Amino acid sequence: MTRKSRRLWLVLSCLACFAVASGLVLNAFSSSIVFFMAPSQILREPPAVDRVIRLGGMVVAGSLKRSLEGQTPINQFDITDGQAAIAVRYEGILPDLFREGQSVVALGTYLKGSPFSASEVLAKHDETYMPKEVADALRKSGKWDPRFGKPPSAESLDSMARHDTDAQAHR
Amino acid sequence: MPETLPGQPVKGAFLHRFANPGRFLRLAHWLFPLLSASSGIFLTIGMIWALWFSPADWQQGDAVRIMYLHVPMAMLASGGYAALALCGVLSLVWKHPLADLAAVEIGPVGAVITGLCLVTGSLWGKPMWGAWWVWDARLTSVLVLFFLYLGHIALIQAFDDPQRGYRAAAVLAIAGVIDLPIIKFSVNWWNTLHQPDSITLTHAPTMPESMLLPLSICLTGFSLGFAALVTGRLQAAILETRAEQMLTRRARSQNGLS
Amino acid sequence: MSHLPYIVASYIAVLGAAGILAFQLALRLRRARTRIAALETRSARQKDTL
Repeated sequence: MTRKSRRLWLVLSCLACFAVASGLVLNAFSSSIVFFMAPSQILREPPAVDRVIRLGGMVVAGSLKRSLEGQTPINQFDITDGQAAIAVRYEGILPDLFREGQSVVALGTYLKGSPFSASEVLAKHDETYMPKEVADALRKSGKWDPRFGKPPSAESLDSMARHDTDAQAHR
Repeated sequence: MPETLPGQPVKGAFLHRFANPGRFLRLAHWLFPLLSASSGIFLTIGMIWALWFSPADWQQGDAVRIMYLHVPMAMLASGGYAALALCGVLSLVWKHPLADLAAVEIGPVGAVITGLCLVTGSLWGKPMWGAWWVWDARLTSVLVLFFLYLGHIALIQAFDDPQRGYRAAAVLAIAGVIDLPIIKFSVNWWNTLHQPDSITLTHAPTMPESMLLPLSICLTGFSLGFAALVTGRLQAAILETRAEQMLTRRARSQNGLS
Repeated sequence: MSHLPYIVASYIAVLGAAGILAFQLALRLRRARTRIAALETRSARQKDTL
């Protein structure tokens, strides 16, 4: 074994040891690295009443109720992860991206029996991008309603558009 | 190390082809202008396309145009660090003479790029999420990458003997590589506010072609620009050491004369 | 354009930083080249006088 390959193996084995160590650490802290908890998780293990937690999930379609109390807007809506839903109450202005069917993260406290009282609401957007015109066209043709789930994939958009033109040609 | 016989292929000859600074200077002489010019062309087209001709997103509106900066910066931040670690291996294992100089020059450029990734991300996050900064796994791991770059820059300059600085910085660069897979997979391993990657090797991109094309042009332009900056800076570093050597040689010969 | 200030700020940040890096590099290269040229002419003159 030459000196060079010995040095190479030394570097690689040090790196491997370090990788295993940091992997174990990350695994151990996994629950605190998680940015938010899902409604079903919170219902299964309710946190301490005064503990500030983050609740994440999708805003249930048709659940948003806006009202005004003096000057402050009051927003009430349900957040679901598909298995369970939690009602949320938030005083303040919602972010631009907030809508029914959108993923959001709410920061606040939870007491069983009463709605989750949020002090901050963040909108979480997903990794799909779509031109405005395409989204409008899809919504108009009834192929997709943003309040119920994810938009179709970029590939299927192309095939849908092709299908439409084919159908028109047949007509 | 056993001497290689003449005529036998020299192991690692490819690595040492550019070990000679003179040879690198000859390479950079045409490579640097080529990289700079093509980067300029790609970036001009990419920026105009991104700002005026690409469509607005259905939910993000025009703020999606920040993506054309943020995504290339994020990819180059990770890529630059991988290059830094590669230089570290070349320096520690093969004692490649240019690797240390390259590490010195990649470090600051990578730090600026990572800083820009954080700044553009913040400017994108405020209007979209409603927060400048959140402590989720993706954002935190990129912040760690930024500090790794800063640590690398500081460590190289921390020693009186530059060789010791190079060695310490190489060790840091190699150890820091652990952060790269954490950044990459943070959005899949833990639930984060940051969305998962739109462009992956395993799945079709979740982005229409009208956005994917300007993004790839911007990415190409920024990558070429990064390569041009590093090549140029390395060229400057070699010229500076050469001037330094000439100066000391002259001083020595003058001392010998007097 | 919606969110114009954020878009403008991010483009200025990125293009500005790229410009600063490029300018600094150009300056560095020019300074190194002039320095080497000056040293070379001086050493050539020295050889002549010897």
